[in-house]
Amino acid sequence: MNLLSGAAPIVQFAFLLGVAICATTLLMLLATIAMRLNGLRMERIDARAEAHWRPLLLAPATDAVGTLPRLTSRDLRGFIHIWNEAHEPLHAATTDRLAKIADSVALEDHLIRFLHTPIFHHRVMAIIALGHIKKASSFEQVLPSLDDKSPIMSLCAARSLMQIDPVRAVPKLVPLIVQRGYWSQGVVASILKESDGKLVAEPLADATLHATSDVAPRMIRFLASVHPESAAPIIREALRTASDERIISTCLQAMSNPADLDCVRPLLSHPLWYLRMQAATTLGNLGVPGDEQRLSTLLSDSQWWVRYRAAQALLKLSFISADDARRIQQSHTDAYARDIIDHVLAERTLELGS
Amino acid sequence: MTSFLAAGLLNLQWVFFAYFILISMAYLALHYVSVVTTLHYMRDNRAEYLPKIMPSYQPPISILIPAFNEEQSIVSSIHSVLRLDYPEFEVVVVNDGSTDATLARVIAEFSLHEFPEAYRQRLPTERIRAIYASPRFPRLRLVDKDNGGKSDALNAGINCIRYPLFCAIDADCILNPGSLARVVRPFLDDSTTVASGGVVRVLNGCTVKNGFLEKVELPRAILPLFQSVEYLRAFLFGRLGWSPINALLVISGAFGVFYKEHVVAVGGYRTDTVGEDMDLVVRLHRKLRREKRPYRITFVPDPICWTEVPSDLKSLRAQRTRWQRGLAESLIPNLRLLFSRRAGAVGLLAFPFMILFELLGPIVEAAGYIGMLTLWLLHMIPLQSFLVFLFLSVGMGILLSTNAIFLERLSFQMYPRVGQQLILFVVAIFENFGYRQLTAIYRLMGLAGWVFSGKARSDWGQIVRDGSWQSPDANDTTGTTAVVAATGVTAASVEKKP
Repeated sequence: MNLLSGAAPIVQFAFLLGVAICATTLLMLLATIAMRLNGLRMERIDARAEAHWRPLLLAPATDAVGTLPRLTSRDLRGFIHIWNEAHEPLHAATTDRLAKIADSVALEDHLIRFLHTPIFHHRVMAIIALGHIKKASSFEQVLPSLDDKSPIMSLCAARSLMQIDPVRAVPKLVPLIVQRGYWSQGVVASILKESDGKLVAEPLADATLHATSDVAPRMIRFLASVHPESAAPIIREALRTASDERIISTCLQAMSNPADLDCVRPLLSHPLWYLRMQAATTLGNLGVPGDEQRLSTLLSDSQWWVRYRAAQALLKLSFISADDARRIQQSHTDAYARDIIDHVLAERTLELGS
Repeated sequence: MTSFLAAGLLNLQWVFFAYFILISMAYLALHYVSVVTTLHYMRDNRAEYLPKIMPSYQPPISILIPAFNEEQSIVSSIHSVLRLDYPEFEVVVVNDGSTDATLARVIAEFSLHEFPEAYRQRLPTERIRAIYASPRFPRLRLVDKDNGGKSDALNAGINCIRYPLFCAIDADCILNPGSLARVVRPFLDDSTTVASGGVVRVLNGCTVKNGFLEKVELPRAILPLFQSVEYLRAFLFGRLGWSPINALLVISGAFGVFYKEHVVAVGGYRTDTVGEDMDLVVRLHRKLRREKRPYRITFVPDPICWTEVPSDLKSLRAQRTRWQRGLAESLIPNLRLLFSRRAGAVGLLAFPFMILFELLGPIVEAAGYIGMLTLWLLHMIPLQSFLVFLFLSVGMGILLSTNAIFLERLSFQMYPRVGQQLILFVVAIFENFGYRQLTAIYRLMGLAGWVFSGKARSDWGQIVRDGSWQSPDANDTTGTTAVVAATGVTAASVEKKP
C-alpha cells in the first residue's frame, strides 16, 4: 500500500476494487479450468464404460447374452447412455436381448437409485431407461416425476409411464395434457402416437368434449393424429356448432371425412379470410364434382392466400385437369383470378418435372 | 475562472468513476442472469431427452437469403441451406440487382426457369424483374430485383415467401444442420414468440466441409482472435442476459427467425438505416407493447451460426462504424420506449442500458482516457491516480471477458481444450491494451457519421474475407460446386457497394 500512501480515498477505494476484480478474475479462470479438467475426467470414465459395454449391448440379436461383467457404479452413466441409445429405432437391437442384459446386471435397482439423486441428467436418463425396461414395478417409482417442475423431466416421465403400463398411465396423463399448455405439443403428439391409438382415443375424446375453447384446438389435433375415427364425430359437431375461430380452423385442418363437407362449404364465405382459405384447402382434399364452382368463385377473393389455396385446391380435385383449370381461368374476367391460375399451373408443371 | 475549470476537471474523475461503477454493475448483473439462464438451458438441452417432435408440429419456414454481388459464394451457400435438417422449408434467394454474375450462376447451377408468380406487394420495394423456380430444386426460388439495399431485398423476399415464419440469413454464414430446428423451438414452446435469434460465433480458424462446420478452432490471426473473445462477451451474456426478461433488443441479421405477419405489420425492414436488424426488433417491441399483446422475443444460446469476422483493420473499422451508426438509428427514432410505462423491462432497463452504455459508451470511454490523461499531464491528479483508474478499467475488462469464457465453458464448450481456454484468457488480457481503445474510436467515428451525415441507406456491409476456413478438399454433395457454404469463399476481397 506504500504506492497509495497519501492518495485520495477515492483512489484507495478504486485500487482495492481493482484488486478484488483481479482476484475474482483469477477465481473465474481457475473455476473454468477446474471444470474443464473435471469434465475431461468424466468424459474418460464414460468413454471407457462405453468402449466396454457398447459391443455387448449393441451386439446382434442372435448373440447369446452369456455371462456379463459386473456393472460398477463408475460404469453406470456410460452404460445407461448406451442402453437408452440401443432402444432408438436406429439401432433396432432386440428388446428381449437388452431386457436379459438388464436383468443380469440388475439395472432396475441401479436406475431406481439414480432416480433419487439430485443430478438432473441422471434422473432423466434413469426415467428413460425404466421406460425401456417396462417393468410394472417401476411405475410407482417414475410416477412422482410426472409432477416435476421441469417440462423435460415430466414429459420423459409421461413417455416412460406410457411404455411401462399404458392402461394405468392414460388416465393420469390425459388430464395433464389438458392442464399443461406448456408441454411441447409436438412431443405430446409423439408420445401419444407411440401408444395404442384405441387405448388413448376414448379418454382423449372425452377430454376434448369437455375442454374449454382455449384447450379444445390442441386436443382435437392430438385426437385426429392418434385416432382419426374418434376425432371425426367431434370435428363434425364442432364445425356445426362452434363459433370459436381457433376450433373451426383446427377442425378444418384435421378433418378427413368427405361426409362432413356440408359443414365446410358454408365456411367458404366466412368473414375471416384464413377460414375461407382453410375451407378451400379442405375442399381440395375431399371435394366432389360441383365443388369446383365454389372454388372458382374464391379465385377472385380479396386475399392472396385464399385465391392461392383455392387455385391449388381446384387442381388437386381428381376430376379437374389442367385443361379444365384453363377453361375456368378463361371464364374469369378478374385479372387476379387469371394470374393465380397461371401461378399454380406453373407450380404443378415444376412439381411434375421434379 | 481557472479555478472553476480546474474544479470541474477534477470532478470529472468522480463522473468517470460513477459511470464505471454503474456500467460494471450492469454488466455483472447481465452476467449473473446469463449464468442462471445458461445453467437452466444446458440442464434441459444437454442431451436429446425427449422423443423427436412430430414433423407436422414443426412449423414450415421460409429461409430468406438476400444477395448482392455474391457470385463467389452464393451457389455453395444455397446448397448448404438446402441440406438443413428440417421437415418443411423453402429457400428464397433475393438478388438485389447484382452487377456481377450472381444471377447467372444461380440460374445455371439450379436449372432455374422464369416463373409466372402472382407476386403480391405487401411491402414496398424496388421493381421486381423476375422470379425463378426450379423443377430440380422445388424448395428454391430466386427473386431478381432492382438494387435497393439489403432491407429492400429482405422486404421483397418477405413479399414472396409462403410460410408464416421466416429466417433471414446472411449469405456468408455457415449453419449447423440442426440450426433451424433449434432456433424455431421457442415458437413451439411458447405460442406468443414473435422472433428468436441465436449465437453467432467466429468462423475464422475453423474448418468447413460441404457447407457444414467440421472442426472448431480458434483463429490464428490476432484481430479475429480478439473478436472471438468479444463475440463470446457480446453474444453470450450481452444477449442471453436480456432474453429471460423479454428485453432483447438485437437479433443478429446474420441469423434470426421472425413471425412474418408481425414484421409486415410494422412495415418490414426499414430501408433508410444500416442497422435494419436491430431496428426491426425495437419496432416489434414498441408495437406489441403499445398494443398490450403478450409476446416473446427470445434468444437461443446454441451456437448455430458461424460467420467470418474482419481480419484487417479497414474491414473492422467499416463494420464497427456501421454497427454504431445502426445502433443510433435504431434507438433514437424509438426513444418513446425509454422509461415508457407500457414498455416494461424494455423501456426501464434494456433501452436505457443501450443508450447509456452502448450508444454513449465510446464517448465516455474516450473522454475518460483523454480526461484522466489531461488531468495527469496538468498535474491535477498524481500519476498513481491515473494508474489506479487504468488498472481498474483494464481489470474490469478482463473480468467481463473471463466471465464470458466461463459461460462458454458452462454451455457448449466449443473451445474445449485447456490450452484454448488459456489462449482466450491471454487474449482477454491483451485486448484491453489497444484493441478495446481502437474499437471505441471506430464506434465514435460511427456516431460522428450518424450525427454529421444525413440518413443512411440500408447497405450490404461488406468485409474483406480470407476464406481460410474452407477445407480445400471439400466437395459439394451434388458434385457441382464446391466447397463450403458461405461466402467469402475466395481469398480475394469482394468489393461491394450499396
